[in-house]
Amino acid sequence: MKSKVLVLSKVILKNSFQNMETAKDVNSNKKSKSMIILYIFIFLYLAGIVGVFSNSLVSELLKIHQEKMFLGIILLAIAGFVLIQSIFSAINLLYYSKDNEYILPLPLKPSQIVIAKTNVLLVTEYFIVAIIGLIPLTIYGILTYANILYYIEMLIVLLVFPIVPVLISSLLVLIVMSFAKFTKNRNRFQLIATILILVIVFVASFAMGNTDSSPEELVQMVMKANGMVELVKNAFPTLGMAIESLTNINIGIQLLNIMLLIATTAIIYALYVLVGQKLYLKGAVGNLSSGKKNKKKIDEKKAFKNSTIFKTYIGKEFKILLRNPIFFMQCVLPAIIFPILIIGMTILGINEENNGQTIDFASMFINKTSIYIGVGILCVIQFFLMFIYISATAISRDGQNAIFMKYIPVKYIKQIDYKVMPNIIMTSIMSIITVIIAEILIKVDILYLLLILITSIIMGVFQSYILIIVDLKKPKLEWNSEYAVVKQNMNLIWPAVIGLVSITLLIILGIVFGNILNSFIFTGIIAFVYLLVTIITRNYINNNINKLMEKIY
Amino acid sequence: MIKIENVSKSYVKGKKSIDDLNLEIKNGEIFGFLGPNGAGKTTTIKMITGILNPDEGDILIDDKSITKQPLEAKKQFGFVPDSPDMFLKLKGIEYLNFLADIYEVPNDVRKEKIEGLTKKFEIYDDLNSEIQSYSHGMRQKIVICGVLLNNPKNWILDEPMTGLDPKSSHDLKEMMREHCKNGNTVFFSTHVLEVAEKLCDRVGIINKGKLVFVGTFEEMQNKFKENKSLEDLFLEITENEE
Repeated sequence: MKSKVLVLSKVILKNSFQNMETAKDVNSNKKSKSMIILYIFIFLYLAGIVGVFSNSLVSELLKIHQEKMFLGIILLAIAGFVLIQSIFSAINLLYYSKDNEYILPLPLKPSQIVIAKTNVLLVTEYFIVAIIGLIPLTIYGILTYANILYYIEMLIVLLVFPIVPVLISSLLVLIVMSFAKFTKNRNRFQLIATILILVIVFVASFAMGNTDSSPEELVQMVMKANGMVELVKNAFPTLGMAIESLTNINIGIQLLNIMLLIATTAIIYALYVLVGQKLYLKGAVGNLSSGKKNKKKIDEKKAFKNSTIFKTYIGKEFKILLRNPIFFMQCVLPAIIFPILIIGMTILGINEENNGQTIDFASMFINKTSIYIGVGILCVIQFFLMFIYISATAISRDGQNAIFMKYIPVKYIKQIDYKVMPNIIMTSIMSIITVIIAEILIKVDILYLLLILITSIIMGVFQSYILIIVDLKKPKLEWNSEYAVVKQNMNLIWPAVIGLVSITLLIILGIVFGNILNSFIFTGIIAFVYLLVTIITRNYINNNINKLMEKIY
Repeated sequence: MIKIENVSKSYVKGKKSIDDLNLEIKNGEIFGFLGPNGAGKTTTIKMITGILNPDEGDILIDDKSITKQPLEAKKQFGFVPDSPDMFLKLKGIEYLNFLADIYEVPNDVRKEKIEGLTKKFEIYDDLNSEIQSYSHGMRQKIVICGVLLNNPKNWILDEPMTGLDPKSSHDLKEMMREHCKNGNTVFFSTHVLEVAEKLCDRVGIINKGKLVFVGTFEEMQNKFKENKSLEDLFLEITENEE
């Protein structure tokens, strides 16, 4: 049984990762070397940002003898992040994945498929854990002069701790999806179920950070050396064990907690497999015939309408995005749901900590046209832009259909314009939602807010064009599972890189010009610069279009 | 008319996948393109349709160069790729309307064209369903319908018979004959030698990127002075080239 699980896990993983380098490339060796160097550089850049953040936070916490709180924050962040990420990934991989067509008919037990697919989920999550976990915990170790045992235990914790959040998300998915058979409209049910699970996990993640302690208890905890960490220890089932195993001064207790962490994870894993083998096949088999068979005939009066190429092309892009559940969840949904949930939950969280009193955010800013408000909103929007993958996967999503672009009599550059349009529309919607929430919270000067909105939309257009270059240069066209396009795809590091570079620049410019320039002029200059860069980017695409399209064949 | 002039293509440096290919498919001709797996059939078709650029040489479709006047050349042909899994999340009718918009099929003939073609291929009643719910053969039919919507003069088809039921296969062959009778061109690749033997005016056999034979079936028999079937001759030609 073990070997079958391993073989299946390997095959699913290999299948989705193997296309990271285009095998057909004539100069692949030379290019792949430079790509590896580039990715190492990007990894170091991301690691650097996380490192700088960790370094300053640990240093500050050390001054007030609350450094253990840092471990609590990082591990809690890992739990929350993995929980939310795994919801999308688990639904996609377990239920919507195209490879189910090949895997389900194989002589494998449901438990073997569930374990193999969960392994794949875990491996993918470890990439994120490496950035948001490994670097901060190593910096913590250095700054607190930890011994070798700390680093060994740190590695064990980072390997074991993310398993439970992955299992919780997957278990929720298995349970909810097993009800799908009772519904008539399966597609709609699955969509609503996904959003519902997402909301549950979001609320749970934010609730994890809240405590029921009284103000007196809070003061006591803060006064005590490393008392603050007690605030988060019970926020997640295995968090206390993980923190104790890394921080307890008694080696015996450290090792006991490591063993407890492993044992608890193993028990939850066993329970998960047990539930999985009972529920999985029922949901997954029904999903295979996911094409919608409509018995109704076409309406002859409406069916044969003509349209402009612009409208029909963008319409086709949107239909494919919205009707493919994996693409919808990974590309479209974050644009709408992340601003609402993240901002909404933060407000709820702050209000709760404020004993139910609604905070008047507006009163926090005396100047309603401060440069810092503009920079803040633009940074938040830029942060959300990092999760919108429509442009970054515009070519790859078409898979082998991408050759269609090459043989139809429509100019390549026009097709690129049509292909980035859904990204522009969705980023604009996200900007509008964020700006409206900002207006409700901070009551920014309306003209200033409008300027911020226009700037953010231009930022979205820039992001749309620059990310399609990334996809054109390295499209992932041969895939058996959509999961490979939207998750196991190195190109998707670029939205994060571009977002973080933009955020860094905005903050630096804000600090430098904060007291010199008028906020309208400052934001106007930012908008102008982004517009200029967008025009340059599109011109680059136009001038190099034949070269850029070479990878599609 | 399709004219391939001195075309070469390499995927890997120093190894030509297509080596100095010359071929002319005249108007009114059905041309069958044969060859073993990996011989270069699909690469050739991809170059004719503009999906791949040749390293050397040029391809003309009705005198329009696919490399120098790509848009004009692309308006001259309809292409059926080897995989019929096109835009599976679109409904049949949405796919056909999309193609009709791309190829600017006027509104007044669009309804008549879509109805005529889809009824002939017996998929009219399924037009309101997503293509994903279609069988392999139905997907092949909807792709063929899409290609024929704007009445292209040159048909380029990569393995068009795969997955078609006998009636649809027969209908498609009839349509190919009729299309050529009107002075147009059909260029298709196939593994089914009987189809090529019965349907094609001429065949071309490609092996390891080189065109090893072009001509009619009779010319092939004469060349080898044997009264063998196309299958036997094909095997002989391609094996001799090993």
